[in-house]
Amino acid sequence: MEASDRDLMGRLALGDRGALEPLMERHYRRIYRVALAYLRNVDDALDAVQETFVKAFRNAARWDPASEVAPWLVRIAVNHSIDRYRRGRRRLAREEPLDDGDHELRMAAAGPSAERAVFGREVAERVAEALKDLPAKQREVFVLRHYDEMSLDEIAQTLGMSLGTVKSSLHRAVHRLRADLEGLKA
Amino acid sequence: MTLFHEAWRREVSLLACGALEGVARAAALDHVRSCASCRLELAALRETLELVAADPVRLAEPPIASSALIARVQAAIDRPGREPIAAETAWRPFAAPALRSAAAAAAVLAALLPLTLGPRLERQDGSPVPVVSGPAAFPPAPTADDDTSVSLDALERLEIHIAREHAARYLNEAQDVLVTLAATSRDCERGEGRVDVGEEARRSRALLARRALLVEMDRAAVASARPVLEDVELMLREIASLESCARRADLEAISRELGRRRLLMKMDLMARELQG
Repeated sequence: MEASDRDLMGRLALGDRGALEPLMERHYRRIYRVALAYLRNVDDALDAVQETFVKAFRNAARWDPASEVAPWLVRIAVNHSIDRYRRGRRRLAREEPLDDGDHELRMAAAGPSAERAVFGREVAERVAEALKDLPAKQREVFVLRHYDEMSLDEIAQTLGMSLGTVKSSLHRAVHRLRADLEGLKA
Repeated sequence: MTLFHEAWRREVSLLACGALEGVARAAALDHVRSCASCRLELAALRETLELVAADPVRLAEPPIASSALIARVQAAIDRPGREPIAAETAWRPFAAPALRSAAAAAAVLAALLPLTLGPRLERQDGSPVPVVSGPAAFPPAPTADDDTSVSLDALERLEIHIAREHAARYLNEAQDVLVTLAATSRDCERGEGRVDVGEEARRSRALLARRALLVEMDRAAVASARPVLEDVELMLREIASLESCARRADLEAISRELGRRRLLMKMDLMARELQG
């Protein structure tokens, strides 16, 4: 029988590194997608995955066994992504553009049909731009809802917000995105 | 628009996001049925969210194998007194700002000494120090000369460590190029049957330039990786020589060769070995 997330966290808390691999195998894709949706850069998203599990290992003893593991991991990834994004913005303001964004979009747009890939690339670029324009809170809520398919309650728990704030943020986010994505047809 | 109606707008947004359940969802649907402007708004928001659903990032897979990621995490945990992982250095070779100053290099050396010297005690002639218990196992107190030789030895080990780390990163990046190429499907202007691989060719050339640097850095340190590095070099040369608007058949041939040599798996294993 496979060990549960809670069992694995318990083992991590005791310093058992053997628990890291099954925990990562189970959650790394999800963490990667959330980070990629937020950061829009493959290297930065991989950093976020790495940092999430390093922190999970180091802080396993502080994890509350009554809470779910996945939202806790996502919370770490989101925090890291927010920090990374802010640092990137500060650097952007000081120096040259962070990157051309091409690499990650190309990676993401790779697919079976050329037409779909081209459309996917355009969508990825436009959505990335629109997400960048959202205030941080709206962006976090929107990413967790539409890229991680979390329920509103889970988002509230993960981000430490009230349910009302989550609802308002999602409402505002989707209206801003509607305005920003005007003209792009599915 | 009344305040009452404004309150429904939020519910309509949440309905479009699929975030309402049960009674709340039924109430919102009831309202939409009786409100023409809300119906229009719901349709428009759903159209927007269909676009988001088409964002390929939602289905993106990490470009490196899980085993490589796990190895990275293990290595990061082992790094004593490490600073938070800097995105600028963690996945990008030759960008290590920590080595840009002598003071920083000394700090790295201090951190690596226990790892590099501790488990591999050797005599000056290279033969291993026998492990015995009791006071006889302790080496004599170091002289000033010994101090110098230990420092040089440690520096040498540090160089080897860095060379191996760079080789591992090189392999990871090359793997990224090869995987991307295998999955690419961007058509180019010269018509059907041709694919835009300009970016992959450019990255291959950049990697080949770094490959030369790797060999110069420390031949012995990356000796075990030589067969894989040579295979990778061959594949990168193939890609670098492609026209930016390449024939799909040429890409398929490269992919077949990649599979035949089982190169991606070998690269992954070698990168892990290099990182210890």
